[in-house]
Amino acid sequence: MSALIRAEGLRKSFGDQEVLRDVGFEAEPGTCTVLLGPSGSGKTTVLRSLNALAEPDSGTVRIGDVEVDYGALPRAARERRALLRRLRSRSGMVFQSHNLFPHRTVLGNVIEGPVRAQGVDHDEAVHAARELLAQVGLAGREDAYPSQLSGGQQQRVGIARALALRPEVVLFDEPTSALDPELVGEVLGVVRDLAATGWTMVIVTHEVRFARDVADQVLFLDGGVVAERGGPEVLSDPVTERARQFLRRVLEAG
Amino acid sequence: MLLGAMLAALTAVLGVGTAPAHAADEGGDLVVVRVGTEGTYPPFTYVDPDDGLTGYDVEVIEAVADRAGWELEFVRAQFDALFPALDSGRVDVLANQVTINPERRARYLFSTPYTFSRGVIVTAADNDDITSLEDLRGRTVAQSETSNWAQVARDAGANVESVEGFAQTAELLVQGRVDATVNDNIAVLDYLASSGTDKIKIAGDAEGEEGRQALVFRRDEAELRDQADRAIAELRADGTLEEISEKYFGADVSVADGGEVDVAGSDADRGSLEVLQDAAWPMLRGALVGTIPLTAVSFVGGLLIALLVALARMSPSRLLRAPARFYVSLIRGTPLLVQLFIVFYGLPQVGVDLPSFAAACLALSLNVGGYAAEIIRASVLSVPTGQVEAAATVGLDGWAAMRRIVLPQAARIAVPPLSNTLLSLVKDTSLAAVVLVTELFREAQVAAALSTEYLPLYCLAALYYWVLCYLITLAQEPLERRLGRYVA
Repeated sequence: MSALIRAEGLRKSFGDQEVLRDVGFEAEPGTCTVLLGPSGSGKTTVLRSLNALAEPDSGTVRIGDVEVDYGALPRAARERRALLRRLRSRSGMVFQSHNLFPHRTVLGNVIEGPVRAQGVDHDEAVHAARELLAQVGLAGREDAYPSQLSGGQQQRVGIARALALRPEVVLFDEPTSALDPELVGEVLGVVRDLAATGWTMVIVTHEVRFARDVADQVLFLDGGVVAERGGPEVLSDPVTERARQFLRRVLEAG
Repeated sequence: MLLGAMLAALTAVLGVGTAPAHAADEGGDLVVVRVGTEGTYPPFTYVDPDDGLTGYDVEVIEAVADRAGWELEFVRAQFDALFPALDSGRVDVLANQVTINPERRARYLFSTPYTFSRGVIVTAADNDDITSLEDLRGRTVAQSETSNWAQVARDAGANVESVEGFAQTAELLVQGRVDATVNDNIAVLDYLASSGTDKIKIAGDAEGEEGRQALVFRRDEAELRDQADRAIAELRADGTLEEISEKYFGADVSVADGGEVDVAGSDADRGSLEVLQDAAWPMLRGALVGTIPLTAVSFVGGLLIALLVALARMSPSRLLRAPARFYVSLIRGTPLLVQLFIVFYGLPQVGVDLPSFAAACLALSLNVGGYAAEIIRASVLSVPTGQVEAAATVGLDGWAAMRRIVLPQAARIAVPPLSNTLLSLVKDTSLAAVVLVTELFREAQVAAALSTEYLPLYCLAALYYWVLCYLITLAQEPLERRLGRYVA
């Protein structure tokens, strides 16, 4: 089976500082890829390169049938925007600080993309949104505003909003880092269910135990390069000293 | 350009017709002639509580129109605005005791005179230092800047303080803020009689300053002037002029030596309460047909301009950013009064000739646009970038993200500062009087000129503005609640 995601040769620098130095990976459909590493290692930039919220200086990203060569983007602003929008349309994203639309209800947040961007019929979108909200445990809260929900509930709305786009890939950017510890479990539970039902996911996280449960593939980044990669066993028995140190620190803190 | 198209639409909505100066009526012989006059200079031109605009000059030009076959439209403005209005073709003739002098003769056409007067010097009652023009050297006098008397005072070596009319001058004299003023004996006598004041007095004659007052036309309007001259000759011959003059002055001021003027005073016996009662409705009407529509149209127009300018200022294109930045800087860096004058008196010289109301709306809209653009820009920038990113990941970018996600959140933030702008605008509309729009404050000035009841009348004007602003702040609260309903 061919890879659903392929990233290759991603490089990016801010001024003198190189944040990505030749990063690449592939992911099969229905698998979960976990990106780990200390802060500043470049893992979030890799994730954001997959939906063009960050634009690397060079390297290619392909998701499904859309391929973007960041080193050779179209000159014309209009074409360039259209291409990046096509890449972005292959994925949904769950943000660290949820970034829900505060002026829209829970239901409004979930149907915004399908109705306004994808042209899905309103009633159909509402029907699908209610099912998704039930799936993440939020049936009955459709008419609440985000500010009336707990942090864990907000993040689950964020997940429903990403899934409502019916994306080929779901991207998670540290989905539990901004949450109180007692709320982490409910969010991770939902993500676990998604992994089990066959969604293709790429997750940036510090939750090592959770990663061990869901990961099919682990990338350990450090200093803008992939320092170590492999199956979930990497998390139990890393080869490199840097990964070992990182895991020890994280597990002690957790 | 979008802005240009919007202005065009705005002016179209306001019913701009570049009215021909004095188009002959197709059916009959009536010619429409627009008359510029103060309406605040009794007994020559003033607003009577019962009869409306009247006075010696008003009745004279009405009689002239009757003979010449003109249909009159009166345009009221303060004296200093009359000549610009004539120059820019907004009025065709001035009937406002305009004194003939060489400078004006070089620029305008005068009819034969219909008033002969002499200049007098007026001081506070307790001032005995000034009795002649020579005594004015080095003193401060109050005059309408463009009036003939200002030049007389200046020639006598006085420092001229610019004021808006004789009523204001009298007040400055009483308060001791200026030393004297030079004016027409008839106007002064009338003021003394009307106000009943004993705080100012005629201190002496401005010797050698006989004034002859006439109708004023633009130089290219010789035909109108000739029609007026023929009419004045007829009116003089059949005694009509004398009759009008006797009515106001108890003497014939329309000839060089028509006897001693005796002014009974047009309004001596009205009390403050009566003056307020008479002025209350005209001022409210000024608010309803002037202040409120001006505010509403200018605010909506200003917000549209502001939104476009704010978006241009945040655009990635320098070609949009630079002019938007220039516009904001220009508007915020120049007085609103100057902007009004440029639109109203300046633009006609390059062929853009807007009627008063449209010109005032345009200038006020442009002004509001400059300030509100910065408010909108700041509000948009205060929406977290995460919102734009989240919008992008659900497929909304560019204008769709702006409209659906950013602007609704920015609106909540922008409402309090924008309502400040709106309150300022309500009050700024009082400046529209200088471009001949009759609004609340202009009506207060008109009533004050006639009655000299400044304190009660201007307090009433302040009260009207205050009530208007209070109503706006009442509306602001539910709006804020609605826009902020999602905030916990």
